Amino acid sequence: MSANFESKLVMRSRHGLSRRRFIAGAGVAAASLGWSAALAQQGQQQQGRVRIEPDAFHPIPIAIPPFVPGGPADADVANGISQVINNNLKRSGLFAPIDPAAFAERITNFDVPPQFASWRPLNLQGLVTGRATRQPDGRLKAEFRLWNIDSQQQVTGAQYVTAPEYWRRIGHIISDQIYAQMTGEKGYFDSRVVFVDESGPSERRVKRLALMDQDGANVRYLTRGADLVLTPRFSPSSQEITYMEFGQGDPKVYLFNIENGQREIVGNFPGMSFSPRFSPDGQRIIMSLQQGGNSNLFVMDLRSRTTTRLTDTPAIDTSPCYSPDGSQLCFESDRGGKPQIYVMPAGGGQAQRISFGDGTYSTPVWSPRGDYIAFTKQGGGQFSIGVIKPDGSGERILTAGFHNEGPTFAPNGRVLMFFRDPGGNAGPSLYSIDISGRNELKVPTPGYASDPAWSPLLS
Amino acid sequence: MTLSDVTRFVRTRKGTVLSVLLHVIVLGWGLFSFSARSMVAPPEDLVPVDVISDDNTSKAKAGHLDGKKENPKPLVDKIGDKKPAEDIVGKVDTKPVTETDAAPTPQPKPDKPVEKKPDPPKPVEKKPDPPKPVAEKKPEPPQPAPADKPKPEEKKPDPFNPDQIASMLNKDKAKQPPKQQLADAAQPEPPKHKTERKFDYEKISSLINQKDPTRQAAAGAELNANAALGTARGMADSNVASWRGAFMTAVRRCFGFPYNGQDADLFEADIDIPMRPDGTLAAEPVVVALRGPSRSVAAAMAESAKRAIVQCQTYTFLPKNQYDSWRKIETTFSLKDMR
Repeated sequence: MSANFESKLVMRSRHGLSRRRFIAGAGVAAASLGWSAALAQQGQQQQGRVRIEPDAFHPIPIAIPPFVPGGPADADVANGISQVINNNLKRSGLFAPIDPAAFAERITNFDVPPQFASWRPLNLQGLVTGRATRQPDGRLKAEFRLWNIDSQQQVTGAQYVTAPEYWRRIGHIISDQIYAQMTGEKGYFDSRVVFVDESGPSERRVKRLALMDQDGANVRYLTRGADLVLTPRFSPSSQEITYMEFGQGDPKVYLFNIENGQREIVGNFPGMSFSPRFSPDGQRIIMSLQQGGNSNLFVMDLRSRTTTRLTDTPAIDTSPCYSPDGSQLCFESDRGGKPQIYVMPAGGGQAQRISFGDGTYSTPVWSPRGDYIAFTKQGGGQFSIGVIKPDGSGERILTAGFHNEGPTFAPNGRVLMFFRDPGGNAGPSLYSIDISGRNELKVPTPGYASDPAWSPLLS
Repeated sequence: MTLSDVTRFVRTRKGTVLSVLLHVIVLGWGLFSFSARSMVAPPEDLVPVDVISDDNTSKAKAGHLDGKKENPKPLVDKIGDKKPAEDIVGKVDTKPVTETDAAPTPQPKPDKPVEKKPDPPKPVEKKPDPPKPVAEKKPEPPQPAPADKPKPEEKKPDPFNPDQIASMLNKDKAKQPPKQQLADAAQPEPPKHKTERKFDYEKISSLINQKDPTRQAAAGAELNANAALGTARGMADSNVASWRGAFMTAVRRCFGFPYNGQDADLFEADIDIPMRPDGTLAAEPVVVALRGPSRSVAAAMAESAKRAIVQCQTYTFLPKNQYDSWRKIETTFSLKDMR
């Protein structure tokens, strides 16, 4: 830019540069010089500081001793809550709960600060103490404190009262609090996952809709398995699920209320409707409708039940997903020849292709943080899970193998869950992986499982 | 071809002939003059360059810390002239000998001779400190010190460094007035030194004149270019990069903040660490500034960094004689390259 500026200056001077223009130009040049000098000064100031960067990715060392039971009958629950917290933080990959054998002290009194001096040699970043008490009214009261051992201060703490059977949820909520305090980001432990439970031999596989906590506990079956179900998706309100079911006729999109078990067909369309997903406000469902050999995107308002067409192309447009602010859509389309990922305004309009790698891209899903779009990529004889920025840059494959498919984001956008089919007679299983590609873990399910969809935070 | 043919050819083709002649002249002139000048290459001075690693600086530093405090071989790049040297050496010789009993003090003296005087608790002899009212012995706060310690004062004109000749000059100027004042003060020792010295302004000025104005190195009786190790004047001492690197390594050992986003390199926290001379924290580290896409993440990173700073103390390797440079250590923690 400066070179252009100089050449213009020279050209004009040959033809006689006016005095005013020259002064203006000199002013601009002086200003830019001053700016660069300021930058240089800033650089020097930065140089004066000792720069310290971590040499590697270190999980946070933390100790979570068993919670103190309020009475003899509370021992199991107290122990269980601390186990849930330990398990959550460890599975996140960001924490390294230390072995109970290394505990410096047995916490017996929640109301007294721990003996910091004895914990200090462990070089912990935090110590969690807690207590679980059954109250006279039968409800469970759980309290916790997070301590900074170096400053001997309580960093955070809270107490919760609930029905005793929800003790696991208390463990998840406390995990979220610790996670948020130590990492600066929202947690994701107090959330659920809906998935397709698969059972029976491979030629007669029974597929049921199932719901569980994100750690695999508390599995509930939502359908009986008489009809094939696919692509369940959570509503942002967390009370409803939308999915596709093969009934008697064409596959249809259904809406299912988790609380009361009621379900209904979304719209009444002549052809097949599939790959539904909620809008961020939970008031609309966007899906694909089959029209001849093509399919296009439609959005239906759940209150007015009106349907709006968003695309009209002689191609297959499917797997739509809203951006978290609801202003844009990403979807999969083969309008360019092969299935690729496109982004367009939520109200319809010009679509922009963002995936340009080898192979085909499908099942795009926008992160709740808005920073990435996760996808399934097929190519080179493999199915991979990857992420890409909404502008098409920064594509990164997180895991690859025989068959990985169907990514879904945790509520904080830091973890992905997907299903992996090893091939052969075995069925698919659920896995979770960090958005950086670290910490791939199998998610425990009662049987084979596919098509996971993560709920938003429950609290 | 006859001569007439040649002349006819020249007449008819004047232009061609002129052109050929001019070309020959120009090329011939250029061949000798240009080539001769262009081949001249001015001799360049070679500049030796050493690549110094952290390890080297650390070793140099270790030398400074471990080595003898007294400098057995002063830095000398050039053999000095003997005539002036005699006078200086004569004066110098007497001083080290007489000052041996004041061995502990000489080290600080070169830096700030005057300031040090109030420090030493040596004035044990002068227990009458409390009875200050004795104005006779200590008329002025600064003066009494020279009175009880005449020897240290002589260290000022440390002979090892010719650059201090000027200060010697000043000192002697200053000495005369004190001499009169101190005469009634108490001890007769200062006058003794004066007599030994045989101080002469003219001689000193002649010394100064003989010093080559363009000379950058010290002159002495023996060449010694290796000045850094173990000497009070060693330059390794001022190489602050070594303690900064060591401090960075030490804190990094305890600092680990797990962040798994691709924007990790955008997060930075400026943290100031107030230090005590013994290498422990004087107070809790102070977060000065946070930068990054998420303030909560940057704040959590800063908290993690603060815990790392506290956990990794004490930083005993910090050079105590440079305490001023690390009284407050300014750090920037970042997550760069952590992907």
